[in-house]
Amino acid sequence: MGKAVHVRKVVRGVAEGAALVCPGSFSFLGDVDLETGVIIAAGNPNQGQALAGRVLIYKETKGSSGGCVVLQALARLGRAPSALVTVKPADYNLAEGAILAAIPFVCEPDGDVLGGIANGQLVRVDADGGVVEVLG
Amino acid sequence: MLNGAAGEIRREALDYIVQFGEAFDAPCLVDISYCHYPAEMGIYAGSVEDAVAYAQRCAAEQAVAQASLLADKSAPLLTDQSRQAQRLALPGIRVAVPTTTSTLCCDLERPGSTGCPPALEALQAQIAGAHRSLGMLETYTCTPQQLGFVPPFGSYIVSVESSAIIYFNSVLGARTNRGGLLTRYSAVCGKYPLMGYLLTANRRGTHLFNIDVPPQRLSTCDGWSALGFHVGGLVGSAVPVLAGLPPQIRQEWLISLGAALATSGAVTLFHIPGQTPEARTLEEAFQGGQPEAVYTVTERDLDAVYEKMRTIPRGAAVDFVTLGCPHYNLEQLRVVAELLRGRRVAGGVRCWVCTNRMTRAAAASAGYVQAIEQAGALVVADTCPVESHMRASTCREYGLAVPNVTAMVTDSVKMARYVGDLIGCNTALTDVDGCIAAGLSGRWQ
Repeated sequence: MGKAVHVRKVVRGVAEGAALVCPGSFSFLGDVDLETGVIIAAGNPNQGQALAGRVLIYKETKGSSGGCVVLQALARLGRAPSALVTVKPADYNLAEGAILAAIPFVCEPDGDVLGGIANGQLVRVDADGGVVEVLG
Repeated sequence: MLNGAAGEIRREALDYIVQFGEAFDAPCLVDISYCHYPAEMGIYAGSVEDAVAYAQRCAAEQAVAQASLLADKSAPLLTDQSRQAQRLALPGIRVAVPTTTSTLCCDLERPGSTGCPPALEALQAQIAGAHRSLGMLETYTCTPQQLGFVPPFGSYIVSVESSAIIYFNSVLGARTNRGGLLTRYSAVCGKYPLMGYLLTANRRGTHLFNIDVPPQRLSTCDGWSALGFHVGGLVGSAVPVLAGLPPQIRQEWLISLGAALATSGAVTLFHIPGQTPEARTLEEAFQGGQPEAVYTVTERDLDAVYEKMRTIPRGAAVDFVTLGCPHYNLEQLRVVAELLRGRRVAGGVRCWVCTNRMTRAAAASAGYVQAIEQAGALVVADTCPVESHMRASTCREYGLAVPNVTAMVTDSVKMARYVGDLIGCNTALTDVDGCIAAGLSGRWQ
């Protein structure tokens, strides 16, 4: 992908952070430890990594409607991602959690964010401008 | 409201709902007529504290508004008396529509009865004052429709609790999505974005299920529960249409069916041609279109659900019996009272019959509660095993034994499915008679 892709805004805001790229689907209930915000799902290539402050990029949201409660609880502890990027259309329930936690959330990029962005690259998510940009 | 003229609380509430609608390209907001509000349970960190703080913010903003009205001397013709009357008439900052509340983690009407740790019970008890000050109704149930909250056909509502959501949509023809944390703000501003299952096009049936099962297999709640679990596992979040069912379906059977559809799948709406209101015919169920897939359901499919849910070995000891998932109605309590009258639950077995507190009061006046409890069972309100302190994570937090239950027998596939993982116990699914027999003998036969 180029340095920037266009995305659909789900929840407003602008945020930066090191990318955390999960190629598969992700469930906030079950895949992440509620206390530490560390990914615990055995099948996830980023098992052991913390979500805090990262731009979380993944294919689609799965799992229980408790997901929005988990996202809000992580935000209360200061352990939530700084922004959310999903390839598939956004999940209603997770959007409710992102709105309350004021976490920028975008979806449906027009470029390959899963293959084109590497873990740890600094990424800027501008939900209002509809752009995800690799800064370095 | 958005400019803050109606106060900060209402501005914030509407702002959240507008953001939510924008996120999904909703063309506009609509007025809602009813809310079923999420459980704010002590077992979720920060949940009760957050609700109490919100109620305090609402009360504080109202107090400031009242004080400024009383201090307003700019209208010299206004007497102190009429100012006082105006103050009293000032609408409170509270929910804008009738709002019922979902289940808690203990029985607040009977402290100590469920074995909930006192500290957790005390934390949970704080929620009642917060809900009361916001004008919410202390129903604490997963089946508000059984308390007479029956929104009219076609009305827009906002609901949490997957078994209530699917009943409102499918059996009553009211319209709601699977509500979440923003339900609070919809309740306060009375609005929801026009999207998802509020739109007629999204209510079209997608998959056809021809039910080829002997009618006697569908004459108890557990049978309908097994049917729902099978179908929900096949359709995920789509809209199943169930054809070939017996003509006289009881309300509690449809409650069991819906609860199970929303357990194995994320089903929000189903249709039964000739029975549910948006499917007077098969054609209407599919809005004139064709099903994406057609399935036949046989007795064997139901057997497979019972087999999957049965992890208690034959003849093994049972230490818990759960009836009332979703919460039982008065007739179901009557039946349990008849079965238990004059008998005795085996030692070491906890037998919970779960309902809401209003139905328990009615059952007490008819003598059903006494009959059930003289037999050694417990009529529980406000909660159920899976929502209670018996969850493994909560037991660890409060220093209780894990798992809290070893072997649970129930007539609900939803209960069996969730306690297996969340409490960590073995399970078996059977009808009410089988549940009572297990309770009396202390064995799974």
